[in-house]
Amino acid sequence: MSWTLFLLLVKASGLTVAISAIAIVIGLTLGMVVSAGMLSPNLLLSMPSRVFVSFFRGVPLLVQLLLIYNLLPLLGLNVPSVVAAVAGLSLCTAAYQAENLRGGFLSVPRGVVEAADMAGFRPFQLFWRIRVPIAFKLTLPALVSEAIMILKSSSLVSVVGVVELTRMAQDLASSTYKPLDLYAAAGGLYLAINWLMAGLGRLLERRLRWGRA
Amino acid sequence: MTFDLGFIAQHLPEVIEAAGTTLMIWAAGAFCGLALGFLVALGRRYGPAPLAVLLGVIVELLRGTPFLVQLFLLYFGGPFIGLSLDPIPAGVLGLTCYAAAYYSEILRAGFDGVPAGHVEAAACVGFSGWQTIRRIILPEMAVLVMPALVNMTILLLKETAVLSIITVPELTMVTSAIGSESYAFVEALFLLALFYWVMVEICGHLGRFAELRLARTGLVAR
Amino acid sequence: MIAAVSVTGLVKRFGQAEVLRGIDLEVPAGRVTCLIGPSGSGKSTLLRCLAFLEEATEGAILIGGEPLGFAVTPDGRRTRLPSGRIRAVRSQIGMVFQHFNLWPHMTALGNVSEALKTVRRLGRSEADDRAMAQLRKVGLQNRANLYPSQLSGGQQQRVAIARALALEPKIMLFDEPTSSLDPELTGEVLNVMRALAADGMTMVVVSHEIGFAASVGHQIAFLDHGQLLLRGTPQEVFRKPRHARLDQFLDTYLDRGAAMLL
Repeated sequence: MSWTLFLLLVKASGLTVAISAIAIVIGLTLGMVVSAGMLSPNLLLSMPSRVFVSFFRGVPLLVQLLLIYNLLPLLGLNVPSVVAAVAGLSLCTAAYQAENLRGGFLSVPRGVVEAADMAGFRPFQLFWRIRVPIAFKLTLPALVSEAIMILKSSSLVSVVGVVELTRMAQDLASSTYKPLDLYAAAGGLYLAINWLMAGLGRLLERRLRWGRA
Repeated sequence: MTFDLGFIAQHLPEVIEAAGTTLMIWAAGAFCGLALGFLVALGRRYGPAPLAVLLGVIVELLRGTPFLVQLFLLYFGGPFIGLSLDPIPAGVLGLTCYAAAYYSEILRAGFDGVPAGHVEAAACVGFSGWQTIRRIILPEMAVLVMPALVNMTILLLKETAVLSIITVPELTMVTSAIGSESYAFVEALFLLALFYWVMVEICGHLGRFAELRLARTGLVAR
Repeated sequence: MIAAVSVTGLVKRFGQAEVLRGIDLEVPAGRVTCLIGPSGSGKSTLLRCLAFLEEATEGAILIGGEPLGFAVTPDGRRTRLPSGRIRAVRSQIGMVFQHFNLWPHMTALGNVSEALKTVRRLGRSEADDRAMAQLRKVGLQNRANLYPSQLSGGQQQRVAIARALALEPKIMLFDEPTSSLDPELTGEVLNVMRALAADGMTMVVVSHEIGFAASVGHQIAFLDHGQLLLRGTPQEVFRKPRHARLDQFLDTYLDRGAAMLL
């Protein structure tokens, strides 16, 4: 395979990284809000959150992407396919992260929360300063593997016409008749990004050791 | 936007057949994947070092790359190395390998979860290697890995939708084809989503039920 | 003089179980009140009600004359006070827990300064200065930048005390502060508490350290089965002949070397 082809793949993987990164950030933020909703005693908050998580974890991402991509224009939102793709990935990963974080929030020791309560924290201060950091740290390994999962799943946005890594490999494969080389190279690039993310995850874990050896 | 579901009634037989294909492929992928994954886990744990390393690399490759890319490599790249497969066999093979990689990791963690003392105790009372695996390790492991296996199997059902991209005539492909023919693409997708959602919820509840039953045998270390 | 804390007719039920059965207690300002009693007697629940971590089912608690949590009308009905007023009254109370409950993601200094910053809205440097002063008080100025996981149990509990003191409470509540410590680490915590008592802090202490109660406590309250059986100075309460239940309870502690103090 020529360098030109490989460079085209590398360039396209930039879009893969960008799409995944945005989806991961939106997904984590939204996931945090949704998991807080799931744990709320208020049924008006917890029910929709639960349905959200159940739906987006229960439907194949491919179907979600097709649905969002085709539904948005019907709702009068003519957005570029990249936006639909990012929206789909974000919603899906938010559901998974919400479920992960829910477990983390439930594992925050009660006494630590009581101590903050005694110190006069208001509920939202307690949430952001105490509950979130501890739940985040407790669930970090699961959060990182979900982030890697979404990187791999981002290959599915190729079906709604976003020319990221997989779509680029597909286009080049059909024009050069070298599918073996191109898909293997694409796979290699995914692997490389994957390792990079895993490395970042380990770095983050080390930073959040909080004094533990 | 009108929501007309009449089109689906006209195509009901095709949809049912496609749903059958989805379930068959899912079952085949899960069953073969679990069997293969078990062998891989055994090979990595008890096999000779070169084999263990090789299996480890393959698992890492399969777990580190998108399923869709693997399918493309198999389906479009296969013919270049003399492996020309029709969509369905290609889909089942792809799903099996993908599943085996994940299942093997789950099972490997299960092997590690069985306390070394139990294995030593089996050796002391004169169990052979295979007897130890069958009588001691497997039953203890089953309880440990059950939730993860159930999760992975449910995930696999959703992955079958990806096979539509390499033209496997399963539910996603057939339903969306009917949908676009009938100018009711979004409605078709809604029904499709509903099908998977209901299936996943049912399987999830069955899985939790099975875990509870298993837990009641008292094998679970709490 | 108004009592620092006054409790009247306090009842706490968890479902069917009646854990507190009508407690009346006055906690004088600037004095140390020790709650003792067998486990399950309700002493920790009483303390947690004083902190409003548990809401009493009936009865009233006044903190410095102000009702805590509920206002009781003359005809005996209780209405919940607005959260702002509850917060204001609770801000006078500091609490030290059995399991320290330090925030694991903050250093010792961070634990002490956090509420000064987020709740009291002090600037970073002022909050850190005040926090450092509190750490010095408990002898941990050299450990300021360590995380809780890097501190011994006794050190963690001293940080927890500093954290509570930093908010300048009028009353300090201690819930079995030495119960989860190794015996050789209890001394450092008790010494800090002694110093605090000598400074004239109003303290309510739930403890199994009968020796500490007898030597530092100004008032001893003995609880049994959710009732306040005895109340008085250590001399009054521990003087022989003692109440039969107290005698029975103390028997289990005498072999711990507390006998000589009584």
